This record gives sequence, structure tokens and C-alpha cells, in this order.
Amino acid sequence: MRGQRPSAEPIRLTRRRIYILPTGQGYAFATLLFLLFLWSINYSNSMGFAFTFLLAAVALNSMWQAHDNLLGLIVDSSGAEPVFAGQEARFAFRVENPDPRPRYGIALQWRDQPPRHTDLPASGAAVVTLTVLAERRGWLRTGRVRVLTRYPLGLLQAWSWVEFERACLVYPQPRGRRPLPAALSGGAGAGLGDQGFGSEDYAGFRLYAPGDSPRRIAWKAATRGGPLLVKQFTDQVRPELWLDWRLLGIDSVEPRLAQLCQWVLKAEGEGRRYGLLLPGARIAPGRGDAHRRRCLEALALFTYAEDVSHRHETAVEPEGPTKTRAAAG
Amino acid sequence: MVATLEDRLDQAVQQVGTTILGKERAIRLAVSCLLARGHLLIEDLPGMGKTTLAHALACCLGLQYQRIQFTSDLLPADILGAAVYERQRETFVFHPGPIFAQLILADEINRATPKTQSALLEAMEEGQVTIEGETRKLPEPFFVIATQNPAYQIGTFPLPESQLDRFLMRIELGYPDAQAERLLLEGEDRRDVLARLPVCLTPEQLREAQARVAGVHAAPPLLDYVQGLLAFSRQSSLFRGGLSPRAGLALLRAARAWALLHRRGHVLPEDVQAVLPAVVGHRLYPGEEHLEQTSADLVGRLRAAVTLPA
Amino acid sequence: MRLPWSRRDRPRRAPPPVEPLTASALTWLLAALALAVAPQATELSVWLSVLFAALVGWRGFIVFRNRALPPRWLLLLVATLAGAGVMIDHRTLFGRDAGVALLTAMTACKLLESRGLRDGVVLVFLGYLLVMSNLLYSQDIPLVTYLLAVILVMLTAQVLIHRQHAGLTALAPLRLTGRMVLLAIPVMLILFVLFPRIPGPLWGLPKDAYKGRTGLSEQMAPGSVSELIRSDAVAFRVRFADAVPPSNQRYWRGPVLWHFDGRRWTRPEEPPVKTPIPFTPEGAAVDYAVVLEPSNRNWLFALDLPARLPPRAGMTPSFQLLRDQPVNEVYRYEMRSYPAYRTAEPTAMERSRGLQLPPRANPRARALVAEWRQRDPQPEALVRSALTLFREQPFYYTLNPPELGGEIVDDFLFRTRRGFCEHYASAFVFLMRAGGVPARVVLGYQGGEMNALGGYLMVRQSDAHAWAEVWLEGRGWVRVDPTGAVAPNRVQQGLYAALSDSRLLPFLARHGGDSEWLRQLALGWDILNNSWNEWVLAYGPERQKEFLSGLGFGPADWTGMTVAMLIALGGFGVLYAGWRWRSRLARDPVARAWQRFCARLARRGLARGAAEGPLDFAGRVAAGRPELAAGVWEIARLYAALRYGPVAPPEQVRQLRQLTRRFRA
Repeated sequence: MRGQRPSAEPIRLTRRRIYILPTGQGYAFATLLFLLFLWSINYSNSMGFAFTFLLAAVALNSMWQAHDNLLGLIVDSSGAEPVFAGQEARFAFRVENPDPRPRYGIALQWRDQPPRHTDLPASGAAVVTLTVLAERRGWLRTGRVRVLTRYPLGLLQAWSWVEFERACLVYPQPRGRRPLPAALSGGAGAGLGDQGFGSEDYAGFRLYAPGDSPRRIAWKAATRGGPLLVKQFTDQVRPELWLDWRLLGIDSVEPRLAQLCQWVLKAEGEGRRYGLLLPGARIAPGRGDAHRRRCLEALALFTYAEDVSHRHETAVEPEGPTKTRAAAG
Repeated sequence: MVATLEDRLDQAVQQVGTTILGKERAIRLAVSCLLARGHLLIEDLPGMGKTTLAHALACCLGLQYQRIQFTSDLLPADILGAAVYERQRETFVFHPGPIFAQLILADEINRATPKTQSALLEAMEEGQVTIEGETRKLPEPFFVIATQNPAYQIGTFPLPESQLDRFLMRIELGYPDAQAERLLLEGEDRRDVLARLPVCLTPEQLREAQARVAGVHAAPPLLDYVQGLLAFSRQSSLFRGGLSPRAGLALLRAARAWALLHRRGHVLPEDVQAVLPAVVGHRLYPGEEHLEQTSADLVGRLRAAVTLPA
Repeated sequence: MRLPWSRRDRPRRAPPPVEPLTASALTWLLAALALAVAPQATELSVWLSVLFAALVGWRGFIVFRNRALPPRWLLLLVATLAGAGVMIDHRTLFGRDAGVALLTAMTACKLLESRGLRDGVVLVFLGYLLVMSNLLYSQDIPLVTYLLAVILVMLTAQVLIHRQHAGLTALAPLRLTGRMVLLAIPVMLILFVLFPRIPGPLWGLPKDAYKGRTGLSEQMAPGSVSELIRSDAVAFRVRFADAVPPSNQRYWRGPVLWHFDGRRWTRPEEPPVKTPIPFTPEGAAVDYAVVLEPSNRNWLFALDLPARLPPRAGMTPSFQLLRDQPVNEVYRYEMRSYPAYRTAEPTAMERSRGLQLPPRANPRARALVAEWRQRDPQPEALVRSALTLFREQPFYYTLNPPELGGEIVDDFLFRTRRGFCEHYASAFVFLMRAGGVPARVVLGYQGGEMNALGGYLMVRQSDAHAWAEVWLEGRGWVRVDPTGAVAPNRVQQGLYAALSDSRLLPFLARHGGDSEWLRQLALGWDILNNSWNEWVLAYGPERQKEFLSGLGFGPADWTGMTVAMLIALGGFGVLYAGWRWRSRLARDPVARAWQRFCARLARRGLARGAAEGPLDFAGRVAAGRPELAAGVWEIARLYAALRYGPVAPPEQVRQLRQLTRRFRA
């Protein structure tokens, strides 16, 4: 419905929101009925009239049925998991049937994609997922989504528009051929880093410190009477990696973000600790899903403003990895 | 004129309200929880009046009150009590712990080790303690108010989900509003107010009130509504797992107590809705796609989603 | 982790996939189509019935055994062969029989290429056409009831071909369509009664549109009437306004035959006029209404002599009623006749036509007449002589006359002397003409049987009859029935009494005997059929006008009917909407009162939230509209107590209903 704002709440389909029009099949059926009517006139066939009128009345009745099939449904958006640009975002919608009678053939449709159908049990609900191609990074909204039904005869389509506030976060498309930038603190870790060790690779011992996980204590060594030692793994000895916007000075904004995105995924895949530097944002090095998500969110929502970026760049400079810095764009 | 039980309960709520200003709803929830024979978990920052609430309730309802400050070195025996060998009598004598009281304030329960926590929770659940093979009944009524500080998590043992379920309600007190705060600042010391609180109910009367909760009528349409709430929580992807049957029973029991406290012999949907956040808030967890939703959001959506037929 | 962002994995906008038909949808569809074709199975050529059954079976086999559909070339081959077969059978692809055969064949072929929704829709539409095509052959009650059931099955198939409704299982779809049809019936009735009817046909009908209807033919040759006698189909039914005339006066006048070619009597072109042909009545009039079965002729039958014209009909100078269009529907008309009459002088043309004879034919008959004329040249004397001949010589009335050869009148009069009415009429008119008395043959029906239960007269095909009219000076055209001279019972009591070999008669034309009760049952059934014909099948443009003006709408015209129809439809819509609203309202009076109250407030912009309890709602309304607070609180408290409390005392329920009824927002 035009003028209706995206909703944060579940939407109940009321009488005023529901529209009905014949489908292609409906028009074909109307033509058939008209032909049957002419045929009845031509042959003065009383029962021909009766049956033609009966079918017309059934079609008319199916209008009520279609309307009833939508009336009172409660639709809610469950949002969508973040995706990368170029992937399909999967928006989940929950459709609830508050009535004690089942409903059939309820569909959700996004733009001109094929509708997704579901049946709703009595007083039950179902989740319908719509896929939307995420073309560019940032917030992706579905806009108006059509809730429709062609029940029961397929001659008429009743529909209603729903629009929700909930959006899908789209990360930049990970793309770029550059290798990961060199690590900041050099040393032994730099060499190891390139060999692509898994995170559970054993790399040596160090002295126990309070707070270390008991599972990592080398108990065997301890029984021999030595000091408590703790096993170390490659991921812990790796140096920190800074994924810096300024390393990619020559490219324009989107390719830079694409490259950064690709680096984030690669660094995460290799189990390294990495930080992200963007004009206006600095994410301290870290690891793990939450960290990755933070980095990707920052890339997804990054807006580049020339004047602001310069100021922020200088502000973050002292913390930034000056050694590996390339010319700032 | 003889004051009825309802009058006395009202009076108690009102009296407690003189010590905790502007928190009538929380007080009513706490009293309902007590009437429903449940236990209460208060999750809030320090200084919000948790202790005062517990103390005031104990005073007004004439309950024997014990406060247990939970610390990381608290042992189960420190709560339950222990058998101590008495040299003179040459026998073990049981020294009851602080749990043998009618109203227990378990302060900062998340500071104690899980072992100690579960000692308390088991006692809460069963209404009795078993020490060295001997079972001892806890006093009647028995009401635990546990507090937990949500902000201060380092070195603590937050209650696991399964244990949270043992509390009938979880509430937050929150900051008082401006008016209440002003009265608080102007007024006298809370301790003095506490000392003057009259006893509004005898323990017998309280037990009678508890007995009457079970008799509050829940009509078929109301049960439909409660079932609707449970069904929605189980179907919706908003939640990771729905409400358990135990949660449904708890909800109905709390709603009954709330109705009684509001002088009704039957439960209204409003009663269910009033206790809903406190009863199910700590029993619902967001589903995978809704991790950012707070428990208040979840309860709000549950409430909004389940329709109430005429 | 695999991230499908490579170009190849991008989703391409593909055309929507074919939604294959489900097994349950196909089952219903096959059943519906088979049921639609079944009544015609005997009408269709054997090969076509077998082909249809085989293809339906094959499609069923494919569904249940999960086989592949046949290749396209095979299908094309079958379709071409079937088309050729129809062509060979009927020599055309158009016309009724060929059209129905072609439709059947093509539906069967379409079945074998039905994959998806679109094919399903086409098949369902073809199915409706097949159902309707049955009506070309018959519209009687059993068939119509049967076809209604087929429509139900077809609608069910139509629901199920949509894959998205596949959740409907077992009998649920049938229940659904059953409900829809039930609800559609009132609308159908309104449309049937009030939709302005246009007289058909709109365009030329195929020649064989009404082939195969039994009835009188346009000409008379030996054996042409006795053929009809074997059919007990009802030709028409008559309801008399007053007393029923005796059987020997019930001559139902049909075509009048003037021309004799030596063997065959035929009807000359006699243009009808739009006003009744004048004559002088002698006696009281008989008023009656005729409900005529389709005959594919424009003849309307009336008692001798008709004195008025039904709408859109004319009368020939020989008093035959003719309608503009052939009667291919059940047609009802009201008539007035005068059994006693005197007609005017014949015109010169009538006189010459009434004396026409093939030259030199039947010399022995001519010689006989010449002999009679010598005795007494008066026309009346000639008539008497001829009737005496039939009565006194050994003439027999039989359904099984021997073949006549050569000069058929001579052969009959002097050799075989066994014949049916056409033999006697033919011979009699020949004799009269040979004697110079203008005479003609009239075809029609004679007698008819009263259905005492229904109070109407049934005239069957077996009542077909042929008689003669002679022109006598001063009396005009006078009816003479020579059959009556041979077999007086035929005229007075009907055919059954007149024939000795009644085994040849159709069952319903026999009287008495062991199966009399069965015959009575059949008469009861005929009453139903008569009402069906009179009120339903005969409901055409004229009947519609009559009916509506009879209801007091004044002269019903096109616009009036449209308005009446729209009003009736609107009225039904309002009724239905009201009923739906009531059924949506809770059954419980307390809940219903509350719904009414909430609806009333909602109209004032104070809608109750979906999850808002009564007291919360009352609180909100009271806060927004303080002037309503008292009333709203009273209702909400009472409702809450009654709905959620342990008991609902009736007087309080009544109070709540009163309060909500009186409440004004």
C-alpha cells in the first residue's frame, strides 16, 4: 500500500489491505463462460444457461474464498542473515494463521520472482523464505512484499502488500588478487604465517601464568618435576595483522573494500589475529566469528567522505601500523 | 470491621511501598511470587533497593528473615548448616544454617561456586534439606529472593539456564522515577522506616492466602490464551526452543496469584500479561536469527503476536 | 567455507518452472473427464469410446507407475488418426456429432501431453465443454443431476491442479467445492430467472444439431407413421383450463399434406401469416397450455381448430401453427381452440390443390369412385360410401401391414386391406379427389392419456395419427377419420384398445396387466418431468416475460430485468455477507456481545488491539474518551467476569447484551 510505512511490528492483514483481481486463468475462464453463454443462447439450451450461471456463481464465490484466505493473517519479518554482495539474502517471513481452520496456498512474492507457497495449519504458522539478490553492500531491504493467494480455483488472486523495517546487512563482495599484507611484528611468526598452519598446530611451550586454561598445561612435563608449562599453538604465536585501507591507495572505494573483505576472510580462514583500519574506524586485532562480523559490518556500512577521512586518518595514525604503511590514498 | 485477607494483602503492598518508593509493580510481582509459592530472582545493579525490598517484605508479612551474602568461598554447609560434634554430649548436633528461615535473601548469588548455588537451589526446589542422611524440612512459608548483578560478571558464576528455571519470576527494579527519587532524598533513613513497618499478615494468614491462589478460577478461554502463548513460543523462529510445560504451569500459577492480589476470583488475560515478562523473560532465548533481541523485546513480541479472541 | 560469489553461481532469472501435476490432481481430473464423457459413450463411435478409455487408462498408468509421457510424434500421430477417424465417421469436422467427437478425441490426446498447471487448466476447461456437450442430447432430470455431480468433481480437479493447494487431502477439496456449489446455487437461480434472455439462435446451427429427435415427418408414405408408434417418448403435454374434451375430439393438428405423387403425400410451401385464419366457431372454446418437447420442427400442435397464435408464430391457411424457429428447447405456449367450427370457402388455389392427383394412377380406385358417383354424386354420399367400404369390407387395422407395391392405393384397397392410419387416410383422400371432392391429409396426434395425478394430458409419439379433411359445400373443411371406421376404439380409447397385436406397442402405451403399478410409477415420474419441462426447460424469453409480469413487475423489459437481477444479486450478497459476519461472531452470547461492543468502538477509531484484554482496553478508551469511561468500564468489567469467571448467570449475560446494545460511542 502506498503511503504505508515499513513496519517494525507484525502486520495483520485487514479488509482494507486486501485487493482482488482475476488472474490470466480467470480471464480465460470468463471467456469460456461467455462462449458457453452464447452457445446456450444459440441452442436455446436451458440447462446450458443453468450450468453457465452456476460456474459463474462459483467463480464469484471463489472471490470471497480468496479474500477470506488472506483476511486476518499475521505476517512478521524475521530478518535475514548477513550475506556478501553478489549472494542471495534470505529473508524469512513468519505467517501466522490465528483462525481455527487451516489455510492453503498462501504465498509471498518479492517483485516478479516466482511466489513461494506454504500451507498454514489451523491456528498455526509457517516461515516463508524469500531470496533477494544482494547487489551492493550496505543495508538491503526487501521493500514491499506481496502476500498473495490464488486459492481455491486459481481464477482470482487476492493480495496484500507488507513492508517491514528489518533489513539484511550486505558485506562487500570479497574480491581482489593481492596477498595478505605482511605482518606487523615480524620475527618467527611471519614465516610461519605463510605456511598456512591450522589453529591447533602445536608450536612449543611457555611458562604458566595465572588465567591459562588448565587444559593447556603440559601435565606430563609437570609430573617430571619441572615448572608448569603451557602448550602453545601457532595461532597464539602469529603476529598481528593490520588490514589497512591505505595499503590499497590506488584503487577506488569499492574495490578497496572488496579487497579488504577478502583479506578479512582469508586472515580468519588462516586463523590469524587481524585488525582493520578504515578512515573513521579502527577495529583492534582479534579473531573469531564475532570479530570477523564486526570487521565485515564496518566494511559493509563504510561511507567515504573525503574531508572526514583525512582527519580521521591522522587521528588513527599513531596506533596504526606505520611500518607497513603505503602511501595514503 | 474485620479486615479481609485481600485488605491485608493490599495493606502489605502499600506498607512495603512506603520503603521502596515508586516500585509498586515490582512489589506486587514479588508478593504474587510469594503467594504462588515461587522464588524470586532480582537482577539489578547494587543500590537499587533489593535488600530493602526483601527486608520490608519480611517485616510486613511477619516472616522470619535471613540474609546470606554469597561469596566465592561460601560453602554449601555455610547455608544449610552442619552437624558439629559436641564434646559435652559426645554426639553430633545439627546446627541449622541460615536457610532455616522463612524469607531468605540470597544476595549476589552468582558470586558463589556452582556447588554452593545448587545447594541452595535444591533446597528451594524440594522445601527440605538432607544433611548426612537426615532430611529436615524447611519452614513454611519458605521464600527465597536471590539477587544477581548483571553488570559485574568477572569471577562470577552466572546461573545456568536450567537453574534459572527454578525461579518463578525474574524482575528488575530499575531506577526510581524523578518524583520517587525526590521523596527518597527528602525522606528519612530507610532503616528507620523499616523498623516502624507494621506486621500486616500472620504466617497463618499468609499460608491461607497461598492456599487460595490454587482456587482462583482459570476459565477455558483463558487456558486457550495461555496455550496460545506456549504454542507461539514453540513455533516461532524468534525463540531458541519454546516454553516448557513447567513454564506454562508457572505462568498460570503466577497469574492466579496476581489475580488474587487484585481481588479477583478468576484470572484475566491481563493478569497473564502482567506477570508474563517476569515469568517467561528468563525462560526464553532468542533464536539464531534474533540474537540481538533482548529478553524484554522477545516477551513484547510474544505478547503482541498471540491474539486474544473475544 | 564456500562462498558462491563467483559469476557462474549468480542466480539467473529463469522462467518459472513447470509445476508438475500431482497424482491426486490427475486422478480427480481423469475421473472428472471420464465421467463427463460417459453419458455419450453410446452415442460416440465405438472406436472413439475405446480410444478415450484407453488414453485415460494410459495416463493413469503413467501417473501411478511413474512412467514417462509418450513422445510428441506418437501423440501427433494419434491425434491425426483420431481427427481422420472423426472425418471418416461424419464426413465433416463441424456440426454437433463431429464436434463432440472431435472434442472428445482431442481431450484424450491432450491428456497425454499434460505435464503442468497450464495443461491442467486447459483440460479442466475442455472438461466443462464436454459436460455442456451432453446437454445437446438430453436435458432430463437424471442426466442434469449427474452432470452436476460431474461439475463438482471437475471443480475439485480444478482446485487440485494448483500445486500450492496440494495440502488439501482426502475429501477436504470435495467438501470445499461442495460448499462453493451450494453457495453458488442461489446466485445461479437468480441469474437463471432474471438474466435477460435473448431468443436464439445467434448464428446458423449445424445441420445435425438436433438430429435423432423422434417426431412426425413432413411427408407421409406407407409406414411412416407406424414407425413412430414404437416410441413412447412424450411429444407434448397439455394442461386444460377447464374440462378435458373427450378423446374423439382430441385431434392435435400438425402438417397438412396436399400433394400426392402416387406414393407419398407432401406439404406444399404455405407461407404462414401473423394473424389467425378466420373461421366461424360453433360452440364453446377450449383453453389449454401445451408444453412441447424439442422436435427440431417449427410445428406447434393445437386442437382443431386453433383460434389464436403463440408469440413468434404464424398460421398457414390450412390452420397449421408454425413457429419462427424450430423447437429445439422445451417450449410452452397457451392456446384456444373451437372443437366445433365452420370454415370459409376455399380459394381457387386450395380447390385445385385439393383435387390434385397423379394422372392415370390407381385405375381400379378411380373406377370404384365413378361407380359410386353414378349412384349418388353428392359429396356427402361419396364420403359415406368410402367409410362404408372400410367398415364393411374386411379391412384390418394393424401395425404390421404387408408391403404395398405398384399402384399403392389400388393394392391396398383391393388386395392387402391391412393397414395403419396412413393407409386409410391416403386411400380415403385419393377416393375423394377422384370423385371431385376437395380433400387433404392431416398429420398430427390423436387422443393422449390423462395423467390423473398431475392433472394433465400426455401425448406420446405413439399417439401419432393421420386423418383426412374434405371440403363440403356449406360446412367448409370437415374432418373425416377413416381409421375410425375400421377401428372405432382407436379414436375413442386410444391405440392400445384398437390393436390386437399390442405386443408391438411400447411399454407405456399398454394398459392394465401385471405391470400396471409400474406404469403408475412411470406416470408419477412423468409428473416430475412435466414440471421440469414446464418450469425449467421451457423457461425461455417468452416464459421469462410472462413469469415476471405475472409476479407483478408490470411488463418486464430488458432494463427492468437487469435492474431486478442486480437488486436480487445485491440482496443475496448482503444476506451472505451478513451470514458470514454472524458466523464469524462467536457462538457464545457473551463473546458476541463483546465483539459487537468492540466493533462499535473500532468504528470510532478505538480499535481493540489483537492482544488487548478487556480491562486494558477499557482503561485505554476511558483515558482517551473520558465521557465514555463509565459505560465502557461497566461493560468491560461485566464481560471480564462473565467470560473468565467461573459462572455466567443468565441474567447477567442478558444485562451485558442490553448494555452493549444500548452503548453508543
